[in-house]
Amino acid sequence: MEAWRLALSSSIRGKLISAGYTSLSSISSVSSSDLARDANITEDEAFEILKLANQSSGSNSCNGNRSLINGAKNAWDMLHEEESLPRITTSCSDLDNILGGGISCRDVTEIGGVPGIGKTQIGIQLSVNVQIPREFGGLGGKAIYIDTEGSFMVERALQIAEACVEDMEEYTGYMHKHFKANQVQMKPKDILENIFYFRVCSYTEQIALVNHLDKFISENKDVKVVIVDSITFHFRQDFDDLVQRTRVLSEMALKFMKLAKKFSLAVVLLNQVTTKYTEGSFQLALALGDSWSHSCTNRVILYWNGDERYAYIDKSPSLPSASASYTVTSRGLRNSSSSSKRVKMM
Amino acid sequence: MKPENLLRRPQTNRKLTTGCEILDGCLRGGIPCDSLTEIVAESGCGKTQLCLQLSLCAQLPISLGGLNGSSLYLHSEFPFPFRRLHQLSRSFHQSNPSLYSNHNDNPCDHVFVQNVHSVDHLFDIMPRINGFVGDSRNRLPLKLIVLDSVAALFRSEFDNTPADLRKRSSLFFKLSGKLKQLANKFGLAVVITNQVTDFVETSDGLSGLRIGNLRYLCSSGRRVVPALGLAWANCVNSRFFISRSDERSENDESGSSYVSRRAQRRFDIVFSPYLPVASCEFMITREGICGVQA
Repeated sequence: MEAWRLALSSSIRGKLISAGYTSLSSISSVSSSDLARDANITEDEAFEILKLANQSSGSNSCNGNRSLINGAKNAWDMLHEEESLPRITTSCSDLDNILGGGISCRDVTEIGGVPGIGKTQIGIQLSVNVQIPREFGGLGGKAIYIDTEGSFMVERALQIAEACVEDMEEYTGYMHKHFKANQVQMKPKDILENIFYFRVCSYTEQIALVNHLDKFISENKDVKVVIVDSITFHFRQDFDDLVQRTRVLSEMALKFMKLAKKFSLAVVLLNQVTTKYTEGSFQLALALGDSWSHSCTNRVILYWNGDERYAYIDKSPSLPSASASYTVTSRGLRNSSSSSKRVKMM
Repeated sequence: MKPENLLRRPQTNRKLTTGCEILDGCLRGGIPCDSLTEIVAESGCGKTQLCLQLSLCAQLPISLGGLNGSSLYLHSEFPFPFRRLHQLSRSFHQSNPSLYSNHNDNPCDHVFVQNVHSVDHLFDIMPRINGFVGDSRNRLPLKLIVLDSVAALFRSEFDNTPADLRKRSSLFFKLSGKLKQLANKFGLAVVITNQVTDFVETSDGLSGLRIGNLRYLCSSGRRVVPALGLAWANCVNSRFFISRSDERSENDESGSSYVSRRAQRRFDIVFSPYLPVASCEFMITREGICGVQA
């Protein structure tokens, strides 16, 4: 099909053809920025042209690089999207570094470790940090906190929220030395209000809630992180049929992945550890079994090394395996004082 | 399904005072409600003393750090220290004259004792406990449940095979799930005591797995680990450790030297969702547990 058949204004059509784009296949195989440059038009206009071209060639067979199926993207566009995806900081720069900047949105990240290592602390820190306004490099979003264990304490969340606001105020004071440091509009109470807190007391409640999340997030589009603390607790009870448990868990994992992709939010699942009997000895492993370990995009393991807490990237499609230390302070998660220790790459 | 409005909750969880200011200081007020708190100690360290004291403190009004409620003491170890409870109750009565206007009022009236001899027995009486908590017509509402001790419930029935251990694990989670559900529904404080076992090094290194703030737990001069393992550790919200060490000091008084032995008791926070690392020393007196100023 020829380019002059597209429903464009004559001036743009002229520019397109003089740049050499005479057939639809040539248009559909180029990116919008290249098209804009070649035809001397704006990127918005180029984008419109590509959209039109796609619509008309959709039903015909085409030997362009663009796929015919609506919604499929090429890897180039996906790379652009991924690079511009925001990340949620953990308030610990060493940890952020090994995470590639923070917890990534559109992904399901599993964080597991022994009791007392700081899983709930990371959960609360993330539910506060997601709310950091854009002016401060944050997402300005809200959080959903699903508490299955009862470890969430409002006084602790308030403590972390207050420290976050103080840090923001200090930052403005530092950046605008001549202004008073009162540019921060957020108050700790606002931060608490923006955490949608659900307490779940049985596995049936947990499943029902996860099923309901799609509707809830559609009505609260500024939710940017969903934290489940912990995903495991209700599933380690007596399930008569382990096959059923695996099925329920994989359905739940799939729902979380869909939520993450659909609403571009981060899903953080906190998990417990258990001992697994493999190859004749007991080893530490994250709970919920082997099939569950495939359900998350990223996996971070928290552990003790001497007297310090460490986080280790166990599984990630893009990040190298590395570990970093962190501490839990009264203000939340922070770098450990001996952060002169460099991040260890494996 | 509606989310809870966190601003409607009080800024700090309701806490149950331990009856001792110094201990309360470590705990930022006391034992939290809507939470499972575990106290790990070897026998003779004072965990039962602390539990008895908490059972009495629960009836204090909220202004004094109590929960204005009664307590349910589930004991799995025999015998139940009735005499000590009465002794503590008498001094409790004396130190709180305003609460007990009537001479016949006995603080023990608000402490309900039930013995549990196995895990199955505990699950059997759960519905009754549920009903008991919900129905508070003739007495103060139930606000504290003590389980002393969880280890005794589990230690005899299970062999050391992987299958039995798995079965035992799932019972931990079932028990913890039910208690947390109760705690959440009625705003109860739940205190569970646990025993310790001697630390034995295993080739996989898992027996020495560090859980919490302390690199290792020591009591009576030897290294110990809490009973019931890693699975149970995942079931509680907070864990506190009480240890004792016998301190020997040589005193030289008017020519004759003698060695005095003093049992020093220590309270440590192993892990907690909101408390910083803290530790304090305490003694057990006739009036109960009282902290020692550092």
